[in-house]
Amino acid sequence: MKMEEKPLSGPDNTRLEALMQDIYSELVEDACLGLCFEVHRAVKQGYFFLDETDQDSIKEFEIVDQPGVDIFGQVFNQWKNKECECPNCKRLIAASRFAPHLEKCLGMGRNSSRIANRRLASNNNISKSESDQEDNDDLNDNDWSYGAEKKSKKRKSDKNQNSPRRSKSLKHKNGELGTSISSDPYKQYNYNAGISYESLAPNEVRSLLTTQCGVISEHTKKMCTRSHRCPQHTDDQRRAIRLFLLGPSVPTLPDVDGDGFDVPDSQAVLSRLQWEDSPDISPADSASSKASGNHSDSRRPKKKKKPAVAAVALSMSGGGGGVNLMGVSGAVSQSTISLSTKKKKPKAAAAAAPSVSTEARQVRY
Amino acid sequence: MNKEARLKASINQKLTETGERDRLKELLRAKLTECGWKDQMKAQCKEVIKEKGLEHVTVEDLVVEVTPKGRALVPDSVKKELLQRIRGFLSQHAS
Repeated sequence: MKMEEKPLSGPDNTRLEALMQDIYSELVEDACLGLCFEVHRAVKQGYFFLDETDQDSIKEFEIVDQPGVDIFGQVFNQWKNKECECPNCKRLIAASRFAPHLEKCLGMGRNSSRIANRRLASNNNISKSESDQEDNDDLNDNDWSYGAEKKSKKRKSDKNQNSPRRSKSLKHKNGELGTSISSDPYKQYNYNAGISYESLAPNEVRSLLTTQCGVISEHTKKMCTRSHRCPQHTDDQRRAIRLFLLGPSVPTLPDVDGDGFDVPDSQAVLSRLQWEDSPDISPADSASSKASGNHSDSRRPKKKKKPAVAAVALSMSGGGGGVNLMGVSGAVSQSTISLSTKKKKPKAAAAAAPSVSTEARQVRY
Repeated sequence: MNKEARLKASINQKLTETGERDRLKELLRAKLTECGWKDQMKAQCKEVIKEKGLEHVTVEDLVVEVTPKGRALVPDSVKKELLQRIRGFLSQHAS
């Protein structure tokens, strides 16, 4: 048969037309039935009339179109000049300042802990420097027991490093100074991570500068307590600070070459140097010769700064030396050396002379 | 008569087998919704419901009341288009 869209020819035509109509009406009825089922279900389930609102609601929620008022009928600046009573302190606070006031008043929220820490630190600065001598003596007496040592360690870190008392502690407690220096990192965890150089004695300034970056921040006027390799400050800055604080005669950073040799040091200093180098260098030898070479250079300026502190330096080398080294050598050697210095630390404190001198021989090449 | 019946049966079968029936159904439904026929029908249903009462209306009620109106309310354009498609199908598949 021919394929045509138009009515088909012949007697089949009527039959097919009739068939066509049948099919059509069947389809339409199907559609109607489908609709009825849908509606019936909606009625029985209760969602049929949901799209209709009653008159009362329509009146209630009509869109408002007046000047000075939004479409809900609310005034814009209504609470701007109102005052609210704080439930904590019972004061009347302006509405726009209410939320920050609550934050501080209740002690919750992001900034309140920071502010509180800052206040505590500055209070400590003031109050701790006036603390009783008796109290400290008691602390001193507890040094040799392990548990108390922990406590005293903590108190040391809490105590302000800037106070004039610190010079006393330097003389009295050899063993403890190492801990106090190593507790310097504690300072970093304070929010107030810096020291005000004005309150330090020159001794303390020097000692600080040998272990820490020391660059004075413009905002806070405090010395940076990070290591010599702190990324925030350059070596130039560190040099400038040292120049500024200690005077031009004193050489600057431990990593400066050749400075050490010009030092008019006494034999005592040099021998002390030997003692110090050994615990740190011998394991470091395996790490890198450069490091040990620099290390001996670095030792000398450091020694110059603290001629009075002899035995202390031994223990210091364990902690402080590691820190210095970090400023000097590369990252890889740094980690190995610091590791080795840490291992050496307890040994160094109790180090016997013979072991020191034998190791010293290894250093000098 | 037999022949007609057989013809009808075979055509129906072909419609279903090829999927043309479902396609036509979907087409019709879409067209009717588009032209507003469905909303009109819903309004009719609402009247029946209000008449019979929300709780007691049955499917039968709706069908009986609404289907004849539905058949009549189908727009001509939709009707013509559908018929055209069926004719095309028939001319393709009629033996």
